[in-house]
Amino acid sequence: MQASKPKAIEVTDLTVAYQDKPVLWDIDLDVPPGVLLSIVGPNGAGKTTLIKAILGLVRPAAGNVLIYDKPYEAQRRIVGYVPQRGSVDWDFPTNVLDVVMMGRYGALGWVRRPGKNERELAMQALEKVGMEAYITRQISQLSGGQQQRVFLARALVQDATIYLMDEPFQGVDATTERAIVTLLQELRANGKTVVVVHHDLQTVTDYFDWVMLLNIRRIASGPVEETFTSDNLRETYGGRVAFMK
Amino acid sequence: MLQGHFDIQLIAIVTAVACALPGVFLVLRRMTLMSDAISHAILPGIVLAFFLTESLSSPLLILAAAGTGVLTVFLVELLQRTKLVKEDAAIGLTFPALFSVGVILISRFAGNVHLDMDAVLLGELAYAPLNKLKAFGYDLGPVSLYVMGAILVLNLVFILLFYKELKLATFDASLAATLGFAPALIHYGLMTLVSITTVGAFDAVGSILVVALIAGPPATAYLMTDRLSRMLILSAIIGSVNAVSGYWLASLFDVSIAGAIATTTLLIFGLVFVLIPNRGIIAIARRQARQKWEFAQTMLAIHLFNHEGLPEAEAESAIADLHEHLSWDPTFTNQVVKHALNNQYVSRKETQLALTEHGRTIAQQALVQ
Repeated sequence: MQASKPKAIEVTDLTVAYQDKPVLWDIDLDVPPGVLLSIVGPNGAGKTTLIKAILGLVRPAAGNVLIYDKPYEAQRRIVGYVPQRGSVDWDFPTNVLDVVMMGRYGALGWVRRPGKNERELAMQALEKVGMEAYITRQISQLSGGQQQRVFLARALVQDATIYLMDEPFQGVDATTERAIVTLLQELRANGKTVVVVHHDLQTVTDYFDWVMLLNIRRIASGPVEETFTSDNLRETYGGRVAFMK
Repeated sequence: MLQGHFDIQLIAIVTAVACALPGVFLVLRRMTLMSDAISHAILPGIVLAFFLTESLSSPLLILAAAGTGVLTVFLVELLQRTKLVKEDAAIGLTFPALFSVGVILISRFAGNVHLDMDAVLLGELAYAPLNKLKAFGYDLGPVSLYVMGAILVLNLVFILLFYKELKLATFDASLAATLGFAPALIHYGLMTLVSITTVGAFDAVGSILVVALIAGPPATAYLMTDRLSRMLILSAIIGSVNAVSGYWLASLFDVSIAGAIATTTLLIFGLVFVLIPNRGIIAIARRQARQKWEFAQTMLAIHLFNHEGLPEAEAESAIADLHEHLSWDPTFTNQVVKHALNNQYVSRKETQLALTEHGRTIAQQALVQ
C-alpha cells in the first residue's frame, strides 16, 4: 500500500445485489493509470454490473468506488462510456454524426446546444474510427461493426482520461476487431486508462496488458503475464476451460 | 357562423400541435399507452378540482389533473419495479383504478351539476368557441384557445430548451445518466407535460381521442423521416392537416368533430403507411418482388455455371427440363428464363440455355459473396 501512487479507479469492498442475490461480492480492484485492462469471466459473472457500478448506474449494497480519489459524480467529465450495442434502439431517428456529437453533451451541460466546434470534434473522432464517409447515414442502416465504431467515436469525442467499454468486440467482423484493438492500444499509448469487458479468452494476452478475472468474486487482477494463469482461469470458470495449455 | 368555423379550426389545430410535440417522444420511448393511461387517470383529479372550484375552466383543474397524471406514471413504475407485473399489466391495473374513482365521484356527487360523462369521454369541439374570455366588456375569443395556446407555448419552450436532453435520454438513458443529465427528471418532466397537455386537450376532444392526437401524427411522421427535428416539425404539420380535414369532414357529414379528426388521423397514417417511397408497404412489396426475380435469375445463372463444360451440361441446361432440375413451377421457370434472356444473363442455343459473359460474371460474383 503506497499512498503516493495514484489510482485511476479504486474499487473497495463493492457488493451489488438484486434483492438478496449478490451479483458482485466484496470486490476490490485497483486500476493503475495507463493500463489496458480486460475484465473476463463467465456469463453472469457480473462484468457489466461492475462497469455500471463504477459509473454510478447501479447502486451498490456496500463498498465504494473512487476515480482518481474522488467519487464518480465529481469526475464525470474524465470518464467515457461505451455501452453494449444492444442497449439502444437503432431505429431512433438520428444519424451517425448526431450520435457522435452526443459524446459532447456532458461538456456542454444543460440547455446549451452543440455547434460548429462539437461538429468538428465529432468529425475528427469519426475519421479515427474510419466512419467519416457515413456521417448522414441513419444508424439502423449500419452493420454491427459500423455501429460499434460509432459508439467508440462517441466515447472518443468525450476526450476522457478513463474509458469503460462493455463488450466492444461483440458481433463485429475481423476488420473492425483489428481496428478497435489498434484504437485501444493508441489510447493507452496516449496515457489513457481503458477498461474493457471481454469475452474471448484466446485474445486476452494479445490485446491487453492487464486483466481482471471475475466470477461474482474477484478471482485475481494484475498484469496479464502474472495473472492470466491456468490456475486462476480454472478457479474463474470452474474447470471448464478446455483450451488452456 | 364564419367566425365559429374559424375558431373551431384554430382550436383544433392548436390542440393537435400541442399534443403531437410531446407525442413524438412518447412514440420513440414506446410509451403511447402511457398517454392513454394518463388521459383516463386524470379524471379524479379533474373531478376533485371541479368540486373545489365549481368551474370547468379554472387553472386549478389543469394543475390537479397534471398531478394525477404524474401520480399515474409513478404508480405504474412502482408496480413495474416489483417485477411481479410487466409494464402493460401495470398500466392496465393503474388507470382503470384511478378512472373508476373519478366515475364514482361524478355519479355520486355531480349528478346535477354541469360535468357529464359524455363530455369527459368525447369532448365537444363544436361548443368550445361559445365559452368566451371577456374582459372590460370586450370579447377576447374562446377560452379554450387561450388554454391550449398556453399549453402549446409551454410544450414548445420545454422542447426547444431541453431538445438535446430529451433526445439523449430517449435514445440512450444510461449515457444520459453517466453524463449527469438525470434521465428520471427528464422523464417526469415530459410526463408532466403530457398530463397538462392531455387535460387541456380533453376539454376539446375528450379523453379517448386525445390519444389519437398524441400518437397518430408522430407515428405517421416516424415513417417519413430519419431526423428527430424533422419528425417534430412533420408531426406538427400532420396534426394540423388532420385537424382541419377532420373538421371539414365533420361539417360535410354533420358528425362529431372529434370523431372525424380521429378518423382522418387514421386515414392519413394509412395513406403514408401504404404510399411512402422506400418504406411504405407498396415500396416494400415492389422491392421484395424485384429481389425475388433478381435472385431467381442469379440462381439460374449459378446452376448453369456449376454444370458448364461438364458431361451433364447438356441435360442440365435443356430449357424444357429446367423446372425439374430446379424443382420450380414450370410457368415460373419460363418467366425466369424470359427475364434472364432479356437481361442477357443467358442466350438460347436451340433447346439449350448458355451463359453469356455477363451471366458468368453475375454467377461468379454471387458465389464469392
